[in-house]
Amino acid sequence: MRIGIVCPYSFDVPGGVQFHVRDLAEHLIGQGHHVSVLAPADHDTALPGYLESVGRTVPVRYNGSVARLSFGPVTAARVGRWVDRGEFDVVHLHEPVTPSISLLALWAAEGPIVATFHTSNIRSRAMQAAYPLLRPSLEKIAGRIAVSEDARRTVTTHVGGDAVVIPNGVNVDRFATAVPRPQWQGAEGAPTLAFLGRIDEPRKGLQVLAAAMPGVLEAYPGARLLVVGPGDAEAARARMVPEVLKATEFLGAVSDADKASLLASVDLYVAPHTGGESFGIVLVEAMSAGAPVVASDLPAFLRVLDGGRAGATFRSEDTTALTHEVVRLVGDPAARAALAEEGRRRARQFDWSVVAEEVMAVYETVTHGAGGVRADTSGDTRWTRMLRGLSRPSDD
Amino acid sequence: MDGLTWGVVVVALLLGIAWYLSYSAARLDRLHSRVEGALSALDAQLVRRAEATLELVNSGGLDPASALILAGAASESLEAHNERAGDDLLEGQTFAGRELIESDLTEALQIALSPQAVEEVRRVPGEAGVAALGRVRAAAVRVQLARRFHNDAVKDVQRVRRKAVVRWFRLAGHAELPQTIEFDDELPPTVRE
Repeated sequence: MRIGIVCPYSFDVPGGVQFHVRDLAEHLIGQGHHVSVLAPADHDTALPGYLESVGRTVPVRYNGSVARLSFGPVTAARVGRWVDRGEFDVVHLHEPVTPSISLLALWAAEGPIVATFHTSNIRSRAMQAAYPLLRPSLEKIAGRIAVSEDARRTVTTHVGGDAVVIPNGVNVDRFATAVPRPQWQGAEGAPTLAFLGRIDEPRKGLQVLAAAMPGVLEAYPGARLLVVGPGDAEAARARMVPEVLKATEFLGAVSDADKASLLASVDLYVAPHTGGESFGIVLVEAMSAGAPVVASDLPAFLRVLDGGRAGATFRSEDTTALTHEVVRLVGDPAARAALAEEGRRRARQFDWSVVAEEVMAVYETVTHGAGGVRADTSGDTRWTRMLRGLSRPSDD
Repeated sequence: MDGLTWGVVVVALLLGIAWYLSYSAARLDRLHSRVEGALSALDAQLVRRAEATLELVNSGGLDPASALILAGAASESLEAHNERAGDDLLEGQTFAGRELIESDLTEALQIALSPQAVEEVRRVPGEAGVAALGRVRAAAVRVQLARRFHNDAVKDVQRVRRKAVVRWFRLAGHAELPQTIEFDDELPPTVRE
């Protein structure tokens, strides 16, 4: 199958959508499909062969944060040419309501179009204002995908219609084959606990775990807490009581390989998030690496943990309950082994091999009997076609 | 304003209206073909699901009673498709009353594919049963997708056809208003993974 994928965000900076697009594209290529990814990127960045750059991005404040986006008539013409030349059986747009090239591709193309909605917080004000303009374009999407139940709710309320939920994929094997490191492994009576996430963002819940630690240290004085993630470590230290501080190591931001090794080493991975999580990819990573998971009972986490079968849960922000769960599991190696086993099994369902198969099912459904993606000529007259032909700049 | 200016304004206005009408007609046309595409995908996947069910029946892993229930439901589904083959699939946009038949097959699959039965099928030598189970699952997943995409497209058509310009200028022509298709397409829990 000839597949065109459009990523609205610049490939120069790391981000969830970019990783998703990269992993999906590489997986589909591995299965023998022809894939072309269109994304903004600087010309001096080393780009993978399947990626076609649409040019530089401009930092724009949109939806409450600054995003690097690409738009304007020159970009639109480039996107149009990519659609023209690609002869795609299906075009897959990511974040089609972001003012960037996905939206431009939706404007330019007609035929089997699939769109994936990632975000669960679309600002409705911009959407409402631009809606009459966007609507005819959005009607062209034949298959809508949401990466989580929350993202799906956003689609049903702000965009209309429904979406099928296909979660983010994880390269399970990358975590499953990680080698444990002795310095992160616990010992009898001196377990290691891991926390991952921005340490100065309250909804990641480091303060909840810190408040639960005194009780854990009372039962296991040798317990160690390993904190991984970017943020102001000094401020986080200042908020901790001395005994907890002594048992805590701040590792800062670490590489993907180190993260995998850490998760493969620790006795427990704790996810004390207090909200705002729509999926919980880090839980899947922990399960893949074989770390028993203790997580707050957020709806998204319960879904990932198969209703609590693949990991222990506690009431969100209830520090006493968290202490209790941690102490119980540290004292019960058999229960931890069972959780780790169940977690490994559960994580397989989020592997890219499974996820890409579901995406392929969507492609097959929308391409059934359809003739492939064409340039959109509705609303075109001979005059507008001619004008567009004249205004198309030559390739640089 | 003199007469010439008025003339220019009127002509521009008429051109604008003409463009908008042709644009709206093209938009509606595209929506209708989206509905038709999704419907033919749904039809194809329903056939695949019924055929895979018959394969499963003939794989020899099921007890005769379960096999008979599945074979009955699957052949009804295929018959309903064959009666319509070549015809207008929509038959007055009602899916020709196939909803009940397809719900029945879904239910039959849910009843027949109990954990024990699936266990038995997996034990059949030669992998025929496992392969058939896989095909039932693949087709059932695509039935869900196709039905959801179809209903999304139908809702878009219904919304656009409520627009005044579409009604006043009869842009929809004689095309009937498509309706959503509702039937039980839930996967049996035993084949979900």
